[in-house]
Amino acid sequence: MKVKRILRLIVGNEKQQAYTVPLLAILCSLIVSSILLLFMGRNPITAFQSILAGAGVLPRPNYAGGRGMFTDIMMTLSELTPMIFASLAVTVAFKGGLFNIGISGQMLFSGFIATVLIGYSELPSYIAMPLVIIIGTLCGAFIGALIGLLKAKFNINEVVSSIMLNYIIMYIISFFIQTRFIDPITRQSVEINSSARLVLQNVQVGPYRAVIPFFIILAIAAAFALRFFLNRTRAGFDLRAVGLNSRAARYLGIKPQLNIMVAMIISGALAGLAGVTHYLGFQGAMPTRELVGTGFDAIAVALLGNVSPIGSLFASVLITIISRGTTYMSSILDVQREIAQVITGFILLFSACGAFIKQVVNTSDVVTAEPEADDVPTEEGE
Amino acid sequence: MDTVLIDGLSYALPLLCIAIGGIYSERSGIINLALEGLLGAGAFVGALFVAFFGGLFAQHSSIPMYFAFLFAMIGGAVFAMLHGLLCVKFRANQVISCVVINILAIALTGFFTRQINSQVFNQPSDRINLGVSIRFDIPYLSDIPFIGAAFQRVYPFQIIIIAVVIFSWYLLYKTRFGMRIRACGDNPHAVDGAGISVAKTRFIAVMISGALAGLGGMSYAYSIAASFSPGIYMGAGFLAIAALIFGNWRIMPTVGACLLFGFARSGGQRLAHILELPVSFSDLIIMLPYVVTLLLLIFFSKSNRAPRALGEIYDKGKR
Repeated sequence: MKVKRILRLIVGNEKQQAYTVPLLAILCSLIVSSILLLFMGRNPITAFQSILAGAGVLPRPNYAGGRGMFTDIMMTLSELTPMIFASLAVTVAFKGGLFNIGISGQMLFSGFIATVLIGYSELPSYIAMPLVIIIGTLCGAFIGALIGLLKAKFNINEVVSSIMLNYIIMYIISFFIQTRFIDPITRQSVEINSSARLVLQNVQVGPYRAVIPFFIILAIAAAFALRFFLNRTRAGFDLRAVGLNSRAARYLGIKPQLNIMVAMIISGALAGLAGVTHYLGFQGAMPTRELVGTGFDAIAVALLGNVSPIGSLFASVLITIISRGTTYMSSILDVQREIAQVITGFILLFSACGAFIKQVVNTSDVVTAEPEADDVPTEEGE
Repeated sequence: MDTVLIDGLSYALPLLCIAIGGIYSERSGIINLALEGLLGAGAFVGALFVAFFGGLFAQHSSIPMYFAFLFAMIGGAVFAMLHGLLCVKFRANQVISCVVINILAIALTGFFTRQINSQVFNQPSDRINLGVSIRFDIPYLSDIPFIGAAFQRVYPFQIIIIAVVIFSWYLLYKTRFGMRIRACGDNPHAVDGAGISVAKTRFIAVMISGALAGLGGMSYAYSIAASFSPGIYMGAGFLAIAALIFGNWRIMPTVGACLLFGFARSGGQRLAHILELPVSFSDLIIMLPYVVTLLLLIFFSKSNRAPRALGEIYDKGKR
């Protein structure tokens, strides 16, 4: 009971828990990572400082010619853009009671189609870029719709079908890249023409050369648009109602089948945007036999952000800083750069316990029966 | 034809082992999409044993390998405890817990492999080399025409896995303990009413699941991969999930599904070899089982019946 009282003091009332519980999860994971670093004989403070420096949030002691903090932070923003889209994709599916684990596959599909159709064409930038965005959105929405259809029509659990689709997409695209578009040196696809890139390359800003990822504005706008859609529109209400209790929603006259489709199409479209901003923006080439980790990290991000659009925005910033900054940190401290994934994993681990913390704190000491404290929908069968 | 049979079996049996692990967990009501992470975590622990203590044994001795299998099972079970803890004790969403386990397993094993390689063995590498296990022909049986190939060039782990499969079938369907596991997945309140702890039963089932996944993962590390490296995460865990859903969460149909996947793979490879297709076509061949699964699910998912309480957090007060 004492533990409970202390916990209640830390996380506050139900309203404050929206940000205190994720913060607690971050704190816990930083502590565990620090212990891990100490165990290896490294200074955790230096480690976290160099992560921030590597991501461009803090200045580094010295820079290579033409580079500066500005260069780093633009690079971070460039990686942040697909992460925001991907975490929004997870969020909207979650709100509709669905679990879109196939974001990586949807990203790969939309990235590949956009690359093949536009990426190698000679179209001028002002035509190519909007086309890439439109194609990416449509391709993502198409895969989302397919998963939704399989769920609504054939009763196939979306987790299973999206895992299968992930692999099918990965191998099929790998086949096409290896037979048609391979660059023999990089073992990736031939580099995408700079006119179709969603990130401006090598722009001289003052003394620095940097990339300009201006589609980050679209990503932030998408977060607010999604918030408006979920909280202020009829369709958004229907979607959330189905996610919370599909049987009750049915009595309200809402069609669960239709909402499964709506949620998956929006989720897929956002994943498609994540795909084009990743492959045609941040990366600039298509890999073979590789699903990008962003699609899976996005689940962590959305969870950390309380499965809300604005929360995902903040959580994306954090996770991207960690993944971006570790290259620099690993060179400073001689720690392998996989530590980024380890820290992310710990954050996710503690976030997953968030529902439990909330439940412990929010139940009064007298009543033992717990109310439904799950803020995320439970899966029913596979 | 012989190679199809030999390669197919050596791929299908570890897959079956992992899938049965999945069945144990899911029949007890805990979703286990974490098999991919668990098989890697298990194989990592097994490989670590060989890396550190393999030198103590005589060269070419196969004793370290058997220890590796043992440690892989222990490692898988211990890592699965985390999944059990999250799902049973901390009441986390089970799918999220699985994602956590997968991300954490891939991250931790990759990180420690590199770190240990560079610090202890002074070689920057992301793999622990194990080599391919010895293979042998089973006397008499391997001389049978046509099907005899199934007994030729057998890996020792295939024998172990067959024994484990038979034992786990017996355990799940013919013992009181197995009945409790199955009851936990279908009607946990009845189990509770009989005075048996649902939490404990589910926890043990998840641990068994991890142990079996670890054994399967180690088998791949000693055959296809010949090492422990991030390459071990090639989707076998997810394919095992496909197999068990296909097999309707029952062991015998799952055996069929795994054999189908194994022979589809080896048959495809053989066909590509005969037709002299370029290497890039291997992508399409590896893809086959996933396509087959998705198509068959479309036709059979209506009759598919998952354990009733699968994915539900057990709540005593809920009726």
